[in-house]
Amino acid sequence: MTPVSRSSHRRAGFDTVFHGLLWICALLVLALLGGLILLMATGGWQAFTTFGLAFFTSASWNPVKDVYGILAPLLGTAVSTAIAMLIAVPMAFGTAFWLVYIASARFASIVGTTIQLLAAVPSIIFGMWGFQTIVPFIARYIQPFLNHHLRHVPMVGPLFTGPPVGTGLVTSGIVLAVMIAPFITAVMVDVFGAVPPMLRESAFGLGATRWEMMHKIVVPWSRNGMIGAIVLGMGRALGETMAVTFIIGNVTTVGWSLFAPRSTVASLIALQFPESPAGSLRLSSLMALGFILMLLSCVSLVLARCLRGKRQ
Amino acid sequence: MTSVPLPSSEHAAGPSDTGPEQEVALSVRDLNFHYGSHHALHGISLDFPARCVTAMIGPSGCGKSTLLRVFNKIYDLYPGQRATGEVLFDGRNILEDSINLDMLRARIGMVFQKPTPFPMSIYDNIAFGVRLHEKLSRTEMDERVQDVLTRVALWNEVRDRLHAPATGLSGGQQQRLCIARSIATRPEVLLLDEPTSALDPISTARIEELLDELKEEFTIAIVTHNMQQAARCADRVAFFYLGRLVEVDTADRIFTNPRQKQTQDYITGRFG
Repeated sequence: MTPVSRSSHRRAGFDTVFHGLLWICALLVLALLGGLILLMATGGWQAFTTFGLAFFTSASWNPVKDVYGILAPLLGTAVSTAIAMLIAVPMAFGTAFWLVYIASARFASIVGTTIQLLAAVPSIIFGMWGFQTIVPFIARYIQPFLNHHLRHVPMVGPLFTGPPVGTGLVTSGIVLAVMIAPFITAVMVDVFGAVPPMLRESAFGLGATRWEMMHKIVVPWSRNGMIGAIVLGMGRALGETMAVTFIIGNVTTVGWSLFAPRSTVASLIALQFPESPAGSLRLSSLMALGFILMLLSCVSLVLARCLRGKRQ
Repeated sequence: MTSVPLPSSEHAAGPSDTGPEQEVALSVRDLNFHYGSHHALHGISLDFPARCVTAMIGPSGCGKSTLLRVFNKIYDLYPGQRATGEVLFDGRNILEDSINLDMLRARIGMVFQKPTPFPMSIYDNIAFGVRLHEKLSRTEMDERVQDVLTRVALWNEVRDRLHAPATGLSGGQQQRLCIARSIATRPEVLLLDEPTSALDPISTARIEELLDELKEEFTIAIVTHNMQQAARCADRVAFFYLGRLVEVDTADRIFTNPRQKQTQDYITGRFG
């Protein structure tokens, strides 16, 4: 009746509508993720049921005979990611530690910003760089050298054999490492920065050196966060498509050599999806691969979140 | 041993009038301190008599914590912070660059406002600092750990869980652990930066009681916002205001009959 109560009615009504809109936004996100997983799962159903367990254990991806096994791309993804992590993690750890504890504020902010810019470089750029620079470098120098010196060493030799084409798992690993290191560094900088200054000062106050402070205090304190950062980087490496497609060689074979052309889950999908007819077993196999890739990425992301959340 | 009487003001205010013959542990001469362009301490000259508790009081931002951080050169971690003047410790000016920081910090221990247990076991928290400077056998280390934990009256509370994480202790226990950790390296001077500001009254009383025992052996410099605490624990009290030392005297004289009006106003709660 009074103007006050009327306006408060209107305000309450507006609030209800707004509330509803927010709910829709939130539910849309859930529906989107659920829908994607469902699409991949139903799309891949045909492949899963046709090949059964052999879908995972067979290395033969043969569109001519219409027989598909995904061992080759699975291994390709696993090994190239592993190589990338081996290179990127120490690099990121060192950079982050230096940024937080050693560099002067001014220099740290320059390098810190550069790292963020590197993280924003589109992956296709890294693909071109890998193709133009890393592939020829490996083909011309690294591969002949390793092949010549290590060929006859038992166990190790087979890892480096093959024609010096420059494409393959090591090349992909190197480029992936450069791509994910900025991400891991950025997260680790946050993690190290969260170590309470008083804790550091306490360690120094007892006469600890930087090294002792790092491996006795900072590393144990931020262990979960660091693992979270690493898993986050791993998630990116697993799913990275374009750069890898440029430089891995795209051959669906399985073998010991780290320098022979291979393929990964994402690169195989990228190359073959456009040429697979609707309803074909090949398309279904690619969808099944997509399902697996999505699962891997989701699991690694959730894992990273849990580990980071624990400490904070 | 562990009865918790609040220290009576008679013994805290103490009879120890520091005459000129008293041995001096730390001697500050014309000390100036800068945070970048901010001039935080102005020409401080002050002696810390050996085996006495010297309390530093004053409103926030008056420079008392800054002075404490000069004594173990922890400010050295931060570029842009610098100290000039002289701080004589064992005959040497510790502000010189040639001073060995690790050794200095082993001889001048520090305890912070909030407990800072390291992310390791109770035992290792103490062993960490000791291992940095001494090589002890397993039994010697066990003895050292038991000794310092007993002295901070923590041994009976933690003896059966020495290898449990130190972060599981209560705040008061953690702070006593931090004091134990600091005295385990056998320093000569103990710096305490508002060590009880994050603790409950009972834990506070424990720590004040502890200070009384520790001063038999260590020279103690404590920063506190708590006037009663200064009156209870300290032999000498220094009052700081706006980066300057206003007055330093025995605790009874500062609290009963200060010479400066500013001191009088502060201790009676008229400002700060």
